[in-house]
Amino acid sequence: MWLAAVLGLIPLVHAEIAKPAAWVPARWPWADARSLDLLDGSPVNCLLLKSPPAEFVAAAKARGVVVLAIGGDPDDLVLTGEPGLPTIHLTTRRKMALGSGDPIIGTTQGVWPGIAPEEAGAHKAGPTSSVWIDTNTGFLRAVRAWGPATVWIANMPPEKTVITTARYLQAIADAAIIGARWVIALDSDLAARLDRREEAAMGTWKRMGALLDYFEHHPEWRTMREAGQLAIVQDPAKGGLLSGGILDMIATKHTPVRPVPSERLTPEALAGATMAVNIAGDSLNPEQKEVLRGFARGGGTLLNGPPGWKDPAPAGGAITLEKPELERLGDMWRDVNGMIGRRNLGVRLFNVASMLSNYVSAPGGKSAIVQLVNYSDYPVDNVTLHYLAELPRATLITPEGAEKKLEVYKTEDGWGVDIDRVSTCAAIRLEQ
Amino acid sequence: MTRREWLALLSTAPLLKAAPDAPVAPVSIAKCASYDEDVTAKLAAMFDQLGGLDKLVRNKTVTVKLNMTGGPGVRLRGMPPAMTHYVHPKVIGATAYLMGKAGATRIRFVESAWATAGPLEDVMLDSGWNVRTLASAAPGVEFENTNGLGKGKKYSRFKFPGKAYMYPEYVLNHAYEDTDVFVSLAKLKEHADCGVTLSLKNCFGIIPASIYGDDAGVNDPNEKPTKGRSDVVHFGKRQPAKIAPPELYPGVGSKTGGYRVSRAVADLSVVRPIHLAIIDGVESMAGGEGPWIRGVRPVKPGVLLAGLNPVSTDAVATAVMGYNPRAERGTPPFRNNADNTLLLAEAHGVGAADLSRIEVRGVSIANALYRFA
Repeated sequence: MWLAAVLGLIPLVHAEIAKPAAWVPARWPWADARSLDLLDGSPVNCLLLKSPPAEFVAAAKARGVVVLAIGGDPDDLVLTGEPGLPTIHLTTRRKMALGSGDPIIGTTQGVWPGIAPEEAGAHKAGPTSSVWIDTNTGFLRAVRAWGPATVWIANMPPEKTVITTARYLQAIADAAIIGARWVIALDSDLAARLDRREEAAMGTWKRMGALLDYFEHHPEWRTMREAGQLAIVQDPAKGGLLSGGILDMIATKHTPVRPVPSERLTPEALAGATMAVNIAGDSLNPEQKEVLRGFARGGGTLLNGPPGWKDPAPAGGAITLEKPELERLGDMWRDVNGMIGRRNLGVRLFNVASMLSNYVSAPGGKSAIVQLVNYSDYPVDNVTLHYLAELPRATLITPEGAEKKLEVYKTEDGWGVDIDRVSTCAAIRLEQ
Repeated sequence: MTRREWLALLSTAPLLKAAPDAPVAPVSIAKCASYDEDVTAKLAAMFDQLGGLDKLVRNKTVTVKLNMTGGPGVRLRGMPPAMTHYVHPKVIGATAYLMGKAGATRIRFVESAWATAGPLEDVMLDSGWNVRTLASAAPGVEFENTNGLGKGKKYSRFKFPGKAYMYPEYVLNHAYEDTDVFVSLAKLKEHADCGVTLSLKNCFGIIPASIYGDDAGVNDPNEKPTKGRSDVVHFGKRQPAKIAPPELYPGVGSKTGGYRVSRAVADLSVVRPIHLAIIDGVESMAGGEGPWIRGVRPVKPGVLLAGLNPVSTDAVATAVMGYNPRAERGTPPFRNNADNTLLLAEAHGVGAADLSRIEVRGVSIANALYRFA
């Protein structure tokens, strides 16, 4: 009788397990319960490891942490947990179950976000250009266009490279500003130092936790959708899988862009857009082509690729383009760039050369968020945002401090706000 | 070497023969350790030392050429461009305020921004500047990107009165003609091609890429330039759009920036005279004009300079940088093929680069000395 009573209490001593959409995942290099102490104060609540011992799973569960066992091939991981929990597939971009209805879809393929170095170690910079930022944001935007599934990107830090705290923060933010989650993965050096509880490593871990916390405290951001007046119609099995493709090129201009998978090209998908770029080329069926013609007839500006244009696809399992394809895409990009010009297609940002941004809007358009990630190792002072929406209240939200009301002023074509400083991340909430 | 020894060496070094008739004007130097100091008060004192701004700008339209070389996204160690290779907005704002106070009716800030003919305000915002603050620094503040037609309806023609080095006529944005006073607001910097870039070299940027750019039309200007001017002016690979006359001596001289840009700059100082030179040397960079030059580093010379003759002002500034302003090609800072722009302009009769003839007011060169090398 007493045993039944104790068993009856077991669920009560277990902390509540979050729903899959709220799982904050990390590849966990340890299998001892002591390692779970690292989760104190951290939003990480989903640990991925091979062959997790039962006592580890139980100890994690007592903390409200889900443990998923990693199985399968390195590029086709299958994550399984206790009965009742969904099985998650982290696979190649090409094999992702887009639009499947799975609560979580993910991939192991990603670029390591950050300012791209040149061979000589200097940044890709000259009098002629700004820095190029390696990012997964374009790909993640394309995936998010398929529906509400939570998206995980589970790429590993590059090997034989010193990964600074800033680079970890950038990896987290690169996914999070699009509403996705980077599956935390520690390089072996950091993992070893964390295991010894070295102060500097603990500092890195805590900063990662604080940044995750910042995003996790705003679940509403993940439900907002890409806004702005520029739509990109593309074949998700081709250009949508790319990093360094047209979506990332547009991102460097800080022009808000909505990817529209060609399969989902409807008049509704283009609502609110004033410009559309058809990257899908001749692969569109007659109905889809008619949607674009209707868009143009309705006053929208439509840019099609040249005759015979095909959305460049990465070779084999690659996620970036080889030089010839990149050059071909570059020709298309010049046309897109010329069409966009300096127009404000929702938001324009200034002094953000080392940053990427995302502009999302709540259903009904009563509020919107502009997210910023700074990929340089230095804070950036004096960022300016110009936006079109009739949202005359603005609030700055940063991982570093309390929310701050911003002065909103009228500009030539809408509203403007100035942001004093952006360290790693900032969000500007715009409201009626 | 001590400051005294350096100055003594300057006075005894074998120098190019000075043009005895070239005009000179006093140059004012002020120490200014950071942009957090009262830049306005320091500039006001300097202008007073030069005889006051009133008589120069009262009831006048003033055009101020800023130095904003390179794209605003290209940065040295992530620093704001104004801390390294652009003039600082505090110096710009202070200049506008003082000019407004002195009675200027219109103050037009201009630059041919890198690879764009879009609004200059956009480039300023991309540089992290508060354009609203600058615009409110004085009544009548305007901004214009002079990389193309800009706000003008036609280009202005500046014919060289005599024998030019490079082009017999320069075709420029209207702002350089529609003005009573022309000011060069430069940064205290070295230059990879030309040795130094000060108030004279700053005005290389008045040449529009629409006509002299790499993607300028063969016949007509390209009002949407996306490139620099190296093919036409630096390396002589092509001629400007036919709206402007071709260079006078194609095939003569080396096809390097050190030869050609220096000469174009000297020509420009004749066709578009500079009435006031202001040099921002509070914080800068050494080793070149922008972050794209290998080996550049941030420096804090902590000085401001101003003068009514650009050659004299640049001569004093070059000395403050620890260099002989009369040094010849091959001697630092005029390395490699760099011809000394100051001497080329002096030979045109624009001004004298002879320190012995230039009165320095405020802080002495010796006390302002900050060695760039």
